Amino acid sequence: MDANLIFATFNSVLRSTTPIMMAALASAICNRVGVFNVALEGQLLIGSFAAIAVNWYTGSILLAVLAGVLAGGVIGLLVGVLQVRYKAADMVVGTSINLFITALTGILLSILFGVKGGFKDPALLSLRKIEVPIIKDIPYLSVLLRNLTIMDYLAYVIAILMFIYLFKTVWGYHLLSVGIKKDAAESMGLNSQGIQIIAVLCSGLLCGYGGVVLSMGQVTLFSEGMTAGRGFIGMAACNLGAGNPVLIIISSLFFGFCDAFASIAQNAIPSQFTQSVPYIATVLALILFSNRGKKKLNIKRVK
Amino acid sequence: MKKCKAKSLLKKSAKILVHPLIAIICGILVGAVVIFLAGENPLDVYVQMFQKSFLNIYYLLQTLTRSVPIIACSLSVIISWKAGYINLGTEGQMIAGGFVGTIVAIYMPGPTYLVMAAAFIAAMATGSILSLFSAFIFDKFGVSIVISTLMMNYAINYITNYFITFPLRDTGSSLAIQSKEIHAAMKLPRLVEGNTFNLGFIIAVLLVAAITFIIFKTNFGYESKMTGLNPIFAQYGGIKKGRVMYSTMALSGMLAAVAGLLEIFGVKYRFLEGMFTSTSYAWTGLMSGLISSLNPIGAFFVSIFLSGMQVGGTAIQRTTSIPLQVSTLIQATITLFVSVKITINFAKKNKFVSRGTNSAKKVGEE
Repeated sequence: MDANLIFATFNSVLRSTTPIMMAALASAICNRVGVFNVALEGQLLIGSFAAIAVNWYTGSILLAVLAGVLAGGVIGLLVGVLQVRYKAADMVVGTSINLFITALTGILLSILFGVKGGFKDPALLSLRKIEVPIIKDIPYLSVLLRNLTIMDYLAYVIAILMFIYLFKTVWGYHLLSVGIKKDAAESMGLNSQGIQIIAVLCSGLLCGYGGVVLSMGQVTLFSEGMTAGRGFIGMAACNLGAGNPVLIIISSLFFGFCDAFASIAQNAIPSQFTQSVPYIATVLALILFSNRGKKKLNIKRVK
Repeated sequence: MKKCKAKSLLKKSAKILVHPLIAIICGILVGAVVIFLAGENPLDVYVQMFQKSFLNIYYLLQTLTRSVPIIACSLSVIISWKAGYINLGTEGQMIAGGFVGTIVAIYMPGPTYLVMAAAFIAAMATGSILSLFSAFIFDKFGVSIVISTLMMNYAINYITNYFITFPLRDTGSSLAIQSKEIHAAMKLPRLVEGNTFNLGFIIAVLLVAAITFIIFKTNFGYESKMTGLNPIFAQYGGIKKGRVMYSTMALSGMLAAVAGLLEIFGVKYRFLEGMFTSTSYAWTGLMSGLISSLNPIGAFFVSIFLSGMQVGGTAIQRTTSIPLQVSTLIQATITLFVSVKITINFAKKNKFVSRGTNSAKKVGEE
């Protein structure tokens, strides 16, 4: 097989990984403080939509990115307040927020743009593709890293910073203490509710970031339900990575590979089968690597 | 004595009804804001919506017809969630069950009733195999049921789409991607002339009665409820957790499959591409189960209400600029408000008890 082709494949893997990785990191930070967040899917979707909408109205990439990230954050805050402050059942809040956002984006799509199903326009700006000066002259590496945006690179920086924050600082361990035993954390003078809500808010920001990459990275468009379960795949990636941001990079790359495979193998196999690959692979991967973080994402009871 | 009982029953039902009603009002208010932002008069739209879903006999029958799969899906959700096993795969189980059932109904030779029975059995088996698979991998490998059931929805949708697009497609009649029609004798009889209202609704009512009986009057129902409320206590009391999980999940999958088959045998008479995803019966059923706080009788009425909102939503989509999703938005808002209300009530009442179970749960997790 041609080496260039292999590197090109991995290039598309890298490009599909970012949204899943951001969802996984979001899931990790929620798990850390003991909040079970199922609304990641909705947080991603609102990020994608807000980015495209602001992109269309302002024509500014910076504002679009900010809007996407903040929109995710707003939903994260809502989820956090409902689940932590009002102790609403996590599964109920999560599923209804996901459905709420799906409906809301559909409605806004028809109110703002007057279209159904999806919105695409040549006037929409996409994130600028970065060419790293030295790497672009190295034969294979240039293929591997072509067409990546700055947000793709930043995602890995965020993951590593999160690792340092969660595992190497006192603050990270404060978060963990809230997750393990709230009462004990409070006796240390921590505001456990506040910390939990802020953590869920951060998960919203991360998902918003992932959503922006989804709608303005590889493609520049918004279509209804375009996240297609990536929030849940992110939860699976977090589960495989045992909540550790560095391991999450690896597990997300695996799911990114499945995602890329779906679009690459389309020519050889009927697309219906290739499209189902990421979902089947998620279940299989969870089964195969079940020892790691076993029962971390335990089912939660509904009151 | 009897009077006293009746009074307390009245009080109890009022208590149960108050929270959903507040939530429904909040949901309708949020919907009104969205309709207003879309540049229409919310009052007009709502009046039209209710006229074209409940107040006109033709639309009322449409509403009841549409509510059949929603009711069955809500029962599927109730059975599994009540035991604490979050089955989000209702949609996938519904698609797979409906698909296999239809294929059996079309291609199996034999007397009509035998084929129909075989179709229902095949559909129920398919639905329960899927949900049991998720239960099994949770039991053996600790794979979250939430994730595995949800992932299966997407996979099943794509795979059935393949079969319906290529090998099993009815190429003769039209351009639509669909299977052949089932034999005329297998179609569920219509109850009213000139309307799709059919025997399926009666079956749905019977299903509600059966599930209510199972949940409130049998050992199995009690055991699954206890497992849902407090798994550790339930196990301590001698309830076998594994058995409860497998049987509730299997029943849940079966009900989802029946939901799919009732829609096909009663209304569409064939399997169409995306027939369950575009109508989102499963998710509406989920919301109806949650709004009724997992009570099958409550879910029956909520399902009819939500179905009416969709029928009304489809009608206003034709005459105004309001898209159908407004009804989903309102439903999701209602569910959100219900979730908050229930727990506030719960926390107030059982302050001491809930603290106890929480720490017990924590111990169990470690």
